[in-house]
Amino acid sequence: MITRVTIFWKLIVAFIILFLVELLILQAFNAAGLSPLLSNILAITVMLLIGCFTAAYFIRLYIKPPIEQLHKGMNMLAERKYNFRLEEDKKDEFGSLASSFNEMADMLTSSLTELKRNRDYLESIFEGSADIIITVNDAGNIRTINTGAENTLGYNQMEIAGKPIDILFADPEEKDIAIQKLRLSENVVNYEMRFITKQKEERNVLFTLTRLHNSNGAVIGTIGIGKDITEEKRLQKKLIQSQRLAAIGEVFTGIQHSMKNMLNACKGGSYMVRTGLKNENHKMLIEGWAMVEEGIFRMTAMSMDMLKYVKEWKPRVKLVDIQKLLIDIDGVIGKTARDKSVELKLDVSSDIPTVLCDSQMIHSAVMDIVSNAIDACLWKDYDKDEIPEVKLSTYLSEDNEKSIIEVVDNGCGMSERVIENIFTPFFSTKSKAGTGLGLSITSRMIDVHGGNIEVESETDVGTTFRIVLPVNATGRNKENDHGKKSISS
Amino acid sequence: MAKKVLVVDDDENTRKFLSAALVENGYEPITAENGKIGLEKIMSEKPELVLLDVMMPKKTGFVLFKQIRREEEFKDLPVIMLTGVAEVLEDLDAESGDTHERPYDALREKMRQAIKEMKEEGLVKPNMFIDKPIDPELVISKIKELIGT
Repeated sequence: MITRVTIFWKLIVAFIILFLVELLILQAFNAAGLSPLLSNILAITVMLLIGCFTAAYFIRLYIKPPIEQLHKGMNMLAERKYNFRLEEDKKDEFGSLASSFNEMADMLTSSLTELKRNRDYLESIFEGSADIIITVNDAGNIRTINTGAENTLGYNQMEIAGKPIDILFADPEEKDIAIQKLRLSENVVNYEMRFITKQKEERNVLFTLTRLHNSNGAVIGTIGIGKDITEEKRLQKKLIQSQRLAAIGEVFTGIQHSMKNMLNACKGGSYMVRTGLKNENHKMLIEGWAMVEEGIFRMTAMSMDMLKYVKEWKPRVKLVDIQKLLIDIDGVIGKTARDKSVELKLDVSSDIPTVLCDSQMIHSAVMDIVSNAIDACLWKDYDKDEIPEVKLSTYLSEDNEKSIIEVVDNGCGMSERVIENIFTPFFSTKSKAGTGLGLSITSRMIDVHGGNIEVESETDVGTTFRIVLPVNATGRNKENDHGKKSISS
Repeated sequence: MAKKVLVVDDDENTRKFLSAALVENGYEPITAENGKIGLEKIMSEKPELVLLDVMMPKKTGFVLFKQIRREEEFKDLPVIMLTGVAEVLEDLDAESGDTHERPYDALREKMRQAIKEMKEEGLVKPNMFIDKPIDPELVISKIKELIGT
């Protein structure tokens, strides 16, 4: 253990010496015959003078240099010269102070090294990120941008720091919305904006914004981390465009397919008219003209159906007796069916309550399904012991809440692929007749009543259509997604 | 004696104007409204050429066509299909990986399958396809090419 001769002991020794000197001086003055009072005053005066000089000497010798060193050390640290250390050669309090100072400097150096390491790490994340990172201060001015932001925006950190964030926004309103959102919440996740680059190009960016706080919790700015989604947006737009084109293409193909058969009648008819005129064959001319007219009639019907399909459907509801409605339909279409050797059987139970619906719409929907059923019978090659037939009936669901109109045929049936598409406009398996819109319109008519159409079918066995209507249907004015149908097969 | 041409189509108008065009050009038209009757008429009337629609009730045109070709007697009977199948098939081949569903996919698939089966069975293909709307004058000129006047 190092024993230090401290300044305290040095001072004690000095005082003892001084005391002894004073005794000697006092003795000398007494010997010189001075009065004791004067001797004392003179001795004390001399001693004080010597004491002062001694103290001054001590301070200069032992205290001033280390304090100057300490002062220099403090200045060096203030100047960030963290390698400076004091000499620890003194074995007194100053030596100990120097050692403490050096220890403090060591700790400071290590803390700073740690801090720098952390800062470098964070900086490498900030700089290395391909995402756009921008920090903005409390006043809305840009503080820092990373390399990702520099690459996207065309600005460098130097030129953009301190500028208001507004310069980046293509639409100032988007900035205002972001600020409003940040007022309501600490985070704004996936906020889409449009930025303007230095080259005045617009970029779509997707940002997550977060408030920055200091250690007291006060807001000091905002950090935004985002990515450039311009390319994604472009592709998305292209995709939507191509989907739209595909949808249009599908409709055009459908229309063309339907029109083909109508034009066929017109073309054939006009040939007969021309030949009839040439040969003065009156019968051929009349037949040909009738064919042309039929073509025109069917094209007109198709254009009307197209209008019907796109129009807004508002059912005019009243209480309708469904049995009466079916008897009516039987009267209209029964003969047509029999003419085509198809038996139309009507089965109505008497306990069916009246249903609130648009009778015209339901009439037209049932007619459409029944005539499809008759057609399905015409397409099937029946065995000798089987008769083509369509059964039309109505009954209540088990919970008495739904009124069901059922059309069952034993015709050609449909494949699953056909069933899936029967409500799609212009999806038609009837190459010669129809507009390709019949079932699409029918399904919408039922849909606006809050009802649905169920379909079951098996190829060469037959098909069952069920129109399901709520008994208390009030006729909705707003349509729901008419594409949804409950289909089971 | 006029050469017999059978028109098999469920559309009455088509049967009517094609018959008129055939008479006008010196052929004897025979008609059938579906594939089943069509086969019966081929057997009984023995026409020199058949105009055959594809989408028909009872028996489709392709089914009838395959039945004709399997009979030794009618193996080489000239057949003109009244459909745009050539175009449809070309269109099919041009499609490359487009999985977007189209309403006529089922029909295309059916036709592609029918043609494939015909090839596999070594059947002679239909002589030609004429799409609707049918131009009667074009049909007549093709008939002349195939069987003369």
